[in-house]
Amino acid sequence: MRKVIMFHARECPHCKAMMPHVDRLEKEENVKFERLEVWHDEKNADLMRSYRPVIAPKCGGQLRTPTFFCPETSDVLCGEVPYDKLKEWALKQG
Amino acid sequence: MKKFYRCYVCGDIHFGVKAPEVCPTCLVKNAYVEISSDEAERTMEPFKTTMSKSEFRRAIGKFAEKNEFEVNPDEAKVATLLDGVEENEKNHGFKYCPCRLQTKDFNEDLKLVCPCNFIIHETYKGKEDGECWCGLFVRRKK
Repeated sequence: MRKVIMFHARECPHCKAMMPHVDRLEKEENVKFERLEVWHDEKNADLMRSYRPVIAPKCGGQLRTPTFFCPETSDVLCGEVPYDKLKEWALKQG
Repeated sequence: MKKFYRCYVCGDIHFGVKAPEVCPTCLVKNAYVEISSDEAERTMEPFKTTMSKSEFRRAIGKFAEKNEFEVNPDEAKVATLLDGVEENEKNHGFKYCPCRLQTKDFNEDLKLVCPCNFIIHETYKGKEDGECWCGLFVRRKK
C-alpha cells in the first residue's frame, strides 16, 4: 500500500467529521493514513506548502483542510466527503 | 497600492486604494487627504484595542445581520471555528481561516483572514445551501 497523507487542522470541523471515516477505512481496508496537523506544527505546514503546486489547483486554488494526498501518485482529494468517496480514492492509490 | 488617508474634518482614518468621496462619519465630500503610515499609526495609538472571542462573535453577528448570509446556527461548530481563529491570531498574527493553510505570501494570505470574501467561493456562489470554506457563515434560509 502506498503512503497516503491526511493534512488536517485541529480546529477544522470538516477534519473532525472525516476522522471517523479515516479510522473506519484503516480498520476495514489495508490503508494507513499519515495524519499531519498543519496549523500547530510548522514542519507539517511546510510539507503541505511544498506540495502547493500539486494540491492547490485541485482544491479551488487553496491549501484546504482536510486534504488527502498520495505523494507517489500526486493524487489529491480535498474537503469533507462521504465514506465511499474516500474509500474509492484511497484504494485507487494502490 | 493601498495608502492611508485622514478626513480633515472629523479625523477618521481610511486605509485603501482610494480615498472615500464622502466621509461615512461626518458626510463631508472630498474630505480625505493622504497621510503617511507613521502619522496613521500615531493617530491610532491611543485607540489600540484587543478583541476577545465573544467580541469577535458579536462582531460577525452584526456583520452578517444585513447580509444574505448568517453565522452558522450550529453553535458547536462555530465554537470550534472561533477557537481556531483565536489560535491562529495568537500564533500566526491574523485571524486566519482554520480550514485553510497560510501560503506565506502576505498578500495571498490576507485573503484567508476571517471573514474572507467567501461570496465568490465555489462552496457558496450559486448554491442554495452555500457556506464559506469553513462553514462559519451559511446562506440565510428564505
